[in-house]
Amino acid sequence: MASSDKIPVACPASSGDGKEPMGDPTKTTTTILDKGTAMMQSMKPIRQMSVHVCSFACYSHDPGRHMEVHIYGHRVNQDFLQCAVYDSNSSKAHLIGIEYIVSEKLFESLSPEEQKLWHSHDYEIQIALLVTPRVPEVVAKPELKNLAKSYGKFWCTWQIDRGDRLPLGVPSLMVSPQDVNLGRIKPELVKKRDEEHGISTEALKPSRDGISGPEKKNLVADYWVRFRKGFALDVVETDMKRTAPFP
Amino acid sequence: MEKAVHLSTKNGPKVPGEPTKTGTSMVDTAASAVQSFAPINQIHQHLCAFHFYAYDMTRQVEAHHFCGHINEDMRQCLIYDGPDANARLIGLEYIVTEKLFMTLPDDEKKLWHTHEWEVKGGFLFMPGVPEAIQRQDLEKVAKTYGKVYHFWQVDLGHQLPIGLPNIMMAVTRDGQLYPEMIKETEKQFGVSMDKERESRAYMKGPDHGIHPLANGGGKGLTLEVREVDIKPVESVPRVFV
Repeated sequence: MASSDKIPVACPASSGDGKEPMGDPTKTTTTILDKGTAMMQSMKPIRQMSVHVCSFACYSHDPGRHMEVHIYGHRVNQDFLQCAVYDSNSSKAHLIGIEYIVSEKLFESLSPEEQKLWHSHDYEIQIALLVTPRVPEVVAKPELKNLAKSYGKFWCTWQIDRGDRLPLGVPSLMVSPQDVNLGRIKPELVKKRDEEHGISTEALKPSRDGISGPEKKNLVADYWVRFRKGFALDVVETDMKRTAPFP
Repeated sequence: MEKAVHLSTKNGPKVPGEPTKTGTSMVDTAASAVQSFAPINQIHQHLCAFHFYAYDMTRQVEAHHFCGHINEDMRQCLIYDGPDANARLIGLEYIVTEKLFMTLPDDEKKLWHTHEWEVKGGFLFMPGVPEAIQRQDLEKVAKTYGKVYHFWQVDLGHQLPIGLPNIMMAVTRDGQLYPEMIKETEKQFGVSMDKERESRAYMKGPDHGIHPLANGGGKGLTLEVREVDIKPVESVPRVFV
């Protein structure tokens, strides 16, 4: 079945042609109904999201494949953020996954088996690959300092960079840019990102001086760099424990 | 039936960590005022429903979906374990019309579940919205298919999102969901699912009937991790100058 590191079976959604997901444009009646009901509902969990960063991510099973990501996070406390990840910051953005971010303190409490699935953030922040669109560096600095010492776990559920027009297959574990060959983000991707957001990664680098990574270098995170192994997920059929017949 | 393991966010384990420092939270407030949150602003709908693990129906969770339309045929949803500000982000769901579902390869169809019974049974509802208005949209949802992944097993009391993702499934017939869990939800949101079921009797599921490959094709599904070789990290030949 559709393992995270395999190409999907050819189908209209895997054609890779065109950037639009499949489906008809949203009807006006739908939009009106949506907006009407939204006014009656309190969307409290969503309102907690207050952090937006833009950076790049790589596939754990193929780190040479890079993708621009927009991360919208809810800072739950000083040690934890829960984030929705999109492929752009426009109203047409695709939800491509979820990332959790923990402080060094929380990360060190995880088992080594769990730590293998997480990645560090210091490199991408220190060279300004990770940016805070429309927020001045001086305002973003405390958050950037915190994030530079953190670790993330990002499951990507829509391989949009491959041209999938629907979310196919199972989640892919993602890893962060690293200062090794496959982990250095392709310059053309950075250029495209910079142009779209009217920023210059190069120009931002000096403001990241003095931002340091975790106190202790963890030897299990960023597993692929040291051990040259990535992680892929497979779907396996099994017996379902049931309370009643299914389906 | 086994006792429901049903954790509401009020009683569930707190995420470990220090309270957010003033400096950091001030940054976040200033930041959100100027940033573009367009993707989040597309989220217009809150749906409450129940999911169970694709390999274990006895583990059931209340799932709060916050959804937006990508287009008329597709929605994308963030899933939380409760409706409040302290809710945990536990997963996501994609919802597509039958039209899009039918284009998927057979292997892919198995990962998706039907919404017909969830909606017609009254188990899926929009908190805060009068039933008659809800039905205008839910009659469309009844014909759709969804694909859900959860990343945080809050029903096991995990304080942090450890482990692998889980494929989830939704209720497809009576007798699957724990009555105590349903009663608790009904009480919390002031709804009556039995009553709503009567009003929704007119609704129809997918035009071509529930696809036999959907809902795991009736089998349990689980995800396993496998290590793969990465080509040598320094794989580009050096350029000699």
